[in-house]
Amino acid sequence: MRLAPDKLAELEEMAYQIRRLCVEMITYARWGHIGGSFSMAETLAALYFQAMRVDPARPHWPERDRLVLSKAHGSPAVYAALALRGYYPAERLYSYCELGGLEGHTDLTCTPGIESSGGPLGMGLSIAAGMALGLRYQENPRARVYCLMGDGELGEGNIWEAAMFASHYHLDNLIGIVDYNKVQAKGFVWDLMQIEPLADKWRAFGWDVLEADGHDLEALVEALHRARWVMPRGKPLALIAHTVKGKGVEMAEFNYHWHTQAPEPEAADQMLRELARAYGRPEEGYSRLPAESGKEAFYRGE
Amino acid sequence: MANDASGAPLEMREVFGNTLVELGRRYPQMVVLDADLNTSSKALYFKQAFPARFIQVGIAEQNLFGVAAGLALTGFVPFPSTFASFASRRALDQIAISICYPGLNVKIPGSYVGIPTSHAGASHNCIEDIAVMRALPNLRVADPGDNADLAAVMRAAMETEGPVYFRVTRATLPDLFGADHVFQWGKGHLVRPGRDVTLYGTGMMTGFCLQAAELLAAEGIGAEVVHLGSIKPLDAELVAESAARTGCAVTAENATIVGGLGSAVAEALAERCPVPLRRIGVRDRWVSSGGIAELLAHHQMRPEDIAEAARQAIRQKRGS
Repeated sequence: MRLAPDKLAELEEMAYQIRRLCVEMITYARWGHIGGSFSMAETLAALYFQAMRVDPARPHWPERDRLVLSKAHGSPAVYAALALRGYYPAERLYSYCELGGLEGHTDLTCTPGIESSGGPLGMGLSIAAGMALGLRYQENPRARVYCLMGDGELGEGNIWEAAMFASHYHLDNLIGIVDYNKVQAKGFVWDLMQIEPLADKWRAFGWDVLEADGHDLEALVEALHRARWVMPRGKPLALIAHTVKGKGVEMAEFNYHWHTQAPEPEAADQMLRELARAYGRPEEGYSRLPAESGKEAFYRGE
Repeated sequence: MANDASGAPLEMREVFGNTLVELGRRYPQMVVLDADLNTSSKALYFKQAFPARFIQVGIAEQNLFGVAAGLALTGFVPFPSTFASFASRRALDQIAISICYPGLNVKIPGSYVGIPTSHAGASHNCIEDIAVMRALPNLRVADPGDNADLAAVMRAAMETEGPVYFRVTRATLPDLFGADHVFQWGKGHLVRPGRDVTLYGTGMMTGFCLQAAELLAAEGIGAEVVHLGSIKPLDAELVAESAARTGCAVTAENATIVGGLGSAVAEALAERCPVPLRRIGVRDRWVSSGGIAELLAHHQMRPEDIAEAARQAIRQKRGS
C-alpha cells in the first residue's frame, strides 16, 4: 500500500487543520481536551480521508463505515475532521459546548457523522461490537466499524468484556484503535494503572494486533490497509497507535496539565503559530475573542 | 397464552418468554440478548424459536447493554435480558448514556423484581429499579399488573420508538384484565370504583389493592382502585381526578417507596390535588432472604397493610 505524494500531502494538511481547528474551538468554548485531541490528529486524517468509506451527503448510508469514539472527550478532533470532510461548515465548530451546538462529549442525535453517544469511558467498544454484529446479520460484508479508544480507559472492565465478546463472535469487521498517548488525566498511564503488556493482552483476548507510530501517516495508512484487507481471518483487530499526548505543540506534549485545559487567547495564539511553523504554513494567530462562557455573568450575579 | 390448559394463570415469566416468541414472529428485526439467565427469565423460549436471533453475551451486563446499543444503531430492536438488579445497578451507565441519552430503540426487561424473588436475598430482590429508571430522560417505565398487561406492555414497547424498561415479576398473578386488554403509555386503568379512598397500584400490587378494597368494603368503606402500569409517563390526570373524588389515597408498589410509584403519585398530587397520602412498599431498607409471605408481612406490604393505610388516610382526611 503506497501512498501517492499528493495524497500524503493532503493527509498532512488535514492533520494540521484538525489541530488548528481544535485550538480554535476549545479556546472559543473555553473548555475541551487538547492533549487527547492532538494525539489523534493523524489517525483521524488517515481514517476520514483515506481508510473509511463514508459519504458526508449521506450520513446514514447503510453501507458506510462507522467510527465509534469511545474516548468521547476527544470530540473536538472528530468534530474538526467531520467539518473538514464536509459534513457541516467549519463555522459550526464554534458552537462547541454551546446550548444547541456541538456537545462537549459526542451526541449522535445532533451531529451528522457522529455514530455514538458517549462520555463515560470504556463503553465504546461494546457499541462498536454490537454494530459489527448487526452488520454481520445484515450480510453487509463491506462496512467496517472502527472504535477509537484511549489508553487510560483500558482500565475499564467494560472494554475487556467487549474484547471477549468480539473475538467470541469472530467480528473481523471490527477494528479497535488504541490512541496510546501514554498520558491520562492526572499523569502517566504506567503510573496510574499499568496497561502493559498491551499487545499481549489483546492477543490473549483473541484479537490480532498491529502496532504503528500514530503520527506517521504512511505507517498508519499501511496499518489501516492491512487491518481491512490483509488481516481479517475471523478475529477482530487492535491497532495500537503509539502517539504523543498534545503532539504538535511543545507546551502540551506528554503534559497531563493539557489533558483538559482551554488555552487563553494568548496561549492559543502561540499554539497556532507554532503549529504553522512546524507544518511550514504561513503563520496565523488566534483572532477570535472567546465566547462569553456564562460563568463570568453567573459570578457577576447576572 | 396467558393461561395454562386448566385456565389458571401462567407464571408471569412464562408469559414473558411466550410473548417474546410472538413478537419475534411478527418483527424480524427483533433480537434477544442474554447474560446467562435465559432459563430463569424464560428468554429461553425465544432462543429455541429463533436461535439465530438470540445473542449470548455471557456474564457481562455492561457489555450486554453496550452491544444492544450497537445493534439498535444498525436497525435491530434488541431486548437485552437480565435480572432487574443487574440492569439497574451494574449496567446503569450503559443504559443511561449509550441507550437512553440518544433515545435508542432498546427494550429492557427487568426480571425478578422485588419481594417474590425472595430466597436470593437483598442482592437480587430488586427494589430500586423503578426509582432509578424513572429518573432517566427518554426512558419509558412500566410495571404490568397481570399476564394480559405484561403481553400488552411488550407489544406496546415494540410499537413505540425509543427505549423502554418493563418489569417482570417472578410470580403467578391473578388475572385483572381480559385478553382484549389494551395498554397505552401514560394511561392508567380504573379497575374498581369507590368514593372514600383511592388505592393506586402498580405491578403485582394492584391485585393486592383489589383484595384490600374487598376488606374495606366489608367495613362499608368504598375504595377506588387505579392501576398505573405505565409509571412513566404517569397518568397524572387520572391520578388527580380520582383523588379529587375520594379525597385521600394510598400507593402500593413491589419496590422501595423512595423514588418509586409512591413518589411519582405524590409528585402528581402535590402539584394537582394535594390529599392525605400513604405509601406502601419497601420502607428504605434491603429485602433480605425469606419466604414470600414472610417478607410481605415483614415489610407490611400485604392487602391488610394496604387496608390499614387506607383507614389512616381516611382518618387524616376527616381530621380525626
